[in-house]
Amino acid sequence: MERRVVITAASAITPIGHGKKQITENLLKGKSGIKPLREDELISRFIHSRVYGTVDYPIEYDFKRSHRKTMGPVAYYACQVAKEVLEQSGLTQDFIASGKLGVAFGSIHGSPTVQRDIYKIFFEAKDKASYQGIGAVDYLKSMVHTTAVNITKMFGITGRVISSGTACTTASQSIGFGYETIKYGLQDAMLCGGADEYDTITVAVFDNLLACSTAFNDEPQRTPRPFDKSRDGLVVGEGGGAVMLEEYEFARKRGANIIAEVIGFACNNNGGDLILPNLAGITATLRLGVENAKINPQDIDLISAHATATKMGDIIEAQAIGAIFGNHPYVTALKSYIGHTMAACGAIETIMSLYMMEDGFIAPTINLEEIDERCTIIKHVQKVLTHPVKTTAVQNFAFGGVNTILILRKFS
Amino acid sequence: MTRQEIEQEIKNIFSREFEIENPGMDDNLREKYEFDSIDAIELLLEIEKMLGFELTQEEKKQAMDIRTINQICDYIERIIQTRKTTG
Repeated sequence: MERRVVITAASAITPIGHGKKQITENLLKGKSGIKPLREDELISRFIHSRVYGTVDYPIEYDFKRSHRKTMGPVAYYACQVAKEVLEQSGLTQDFIASGKLGVAFGSIHGSPTVQRDIYKIFFEAKDKASYQGIGAVDYLKSMVHTTAVNITKMFGITGRVISSGTACTTASQSIGFGYETIKYGLQDAMLCGGADEYDTITVAVFDNLLACSTAFNDEPQRTPRPFDKSRDGLVVGEGGGAVMLEEYEFARKRGANIIAEVIGFACNNNGGDLILPNLAGITATLRLGVENAKINPQDIDLISAHATATKMGDIIEAQAIGAIFGNHPYVTALKSYIGHTMAACGAIETIMSLYMMEDGFIAPTINLEEIDERCTIIKHVQKVLTHPVKTTAVQNFAFGGVNTILILRKFS
Repeated sequence: MTRQEIEQEIKNIFSREFEIENPGMDDNLREKYEFDSIDAIELLLEIEKMLGFELTQEEKKQAMDIRTINQICDYIERIIQTRKTTG
């Protein structure tokens, strides 16, 4: 039995704002959320890339201590967007606690802030008193499924927990696995998403791989530059995003506000190199996604590309899009606004795509001034388009050779 | 420490560390304030600071069934008494 799956709520905390109004306004304005890298008084002084997709506005959290005590910064993002999505959805507490609602939520490696504090004690503990500084809750704050289970705890959710930790495909897998969980009748609803907190270790990893942007350190808002000739790498970012997926009949009968339908998902692996983008693997993902959605490639109106602004990644993605979709769909690179929000990117980019479908516009790839000639085979968007979007593909690819595509259709 | 001093210090710890203000002496901390095993471990660290010595693993395990402020005060008095006896 295959059931239809719809999206009934969405919320995101991003470097260009929190919630639909701010995010949509800033997409329409072409505003960048890239800021100078903050000093961490540890390794930041060695990092060549001096830019970061930063959430630098205040967020009013209202979490009681019994919940806060197991939350690192990443769980604050996760629980806040989860709270907003649950409120938007209008689901009753009886349903939320019924076992029919599950959670699919992840981060790339729990809370690095908390891990850093643990390792500080690990390396510097001189006596038993300092050893006891490793608190009873530190593991709960820093474990890889900390976001998912802080959400279940806070809202009394008793269904399945899926906590993907596949780097940049964490949230797209969360949504995709949530979709499959409902589609095949294992749960009636899934709260899905991803989050990552401010973290210089992630920047250092990409920096040492020569994959981070360094040429625009004095002009942060001019980078990243997906598909642009002068792109010079990715910019790490932070944030969180969540969506509520529900089985269609259940949502319809309770009168839920249905934003869109998830009509397809595919996920595969390159089966080889864990870092380099792989044309065959990514092309296969896109093909599998179209097959899963039971549509024709020309049915896709808009692609939210993974497009991190690395030299090779963007070219290979453009080639894969060209091979499967030709130059029919518009292609936008939303990381140009917010940087690469890691575990959150699949959710945030899905949510931005939902906003565009709802409001009938396509946000351009900012900083795309001169298209790299090797990326010209696809239809780029360089200014805001007022254009109805019925079907969108959201693409994400991760270290480890994991590739995903989600296909969303505006609900009518 | 007198019983009154212990009670006051425990209430201070509950206010400062657990954001629990003026708990009743016989309130069930788990049921009324969601005070759980994680909090119990943190409370034991605070009690060690208050007493100025480390609790043994065995003494800590004895605290795991405590449910009320009165029981916490009894526990602390017992620990103090045992240490006096054993030197």
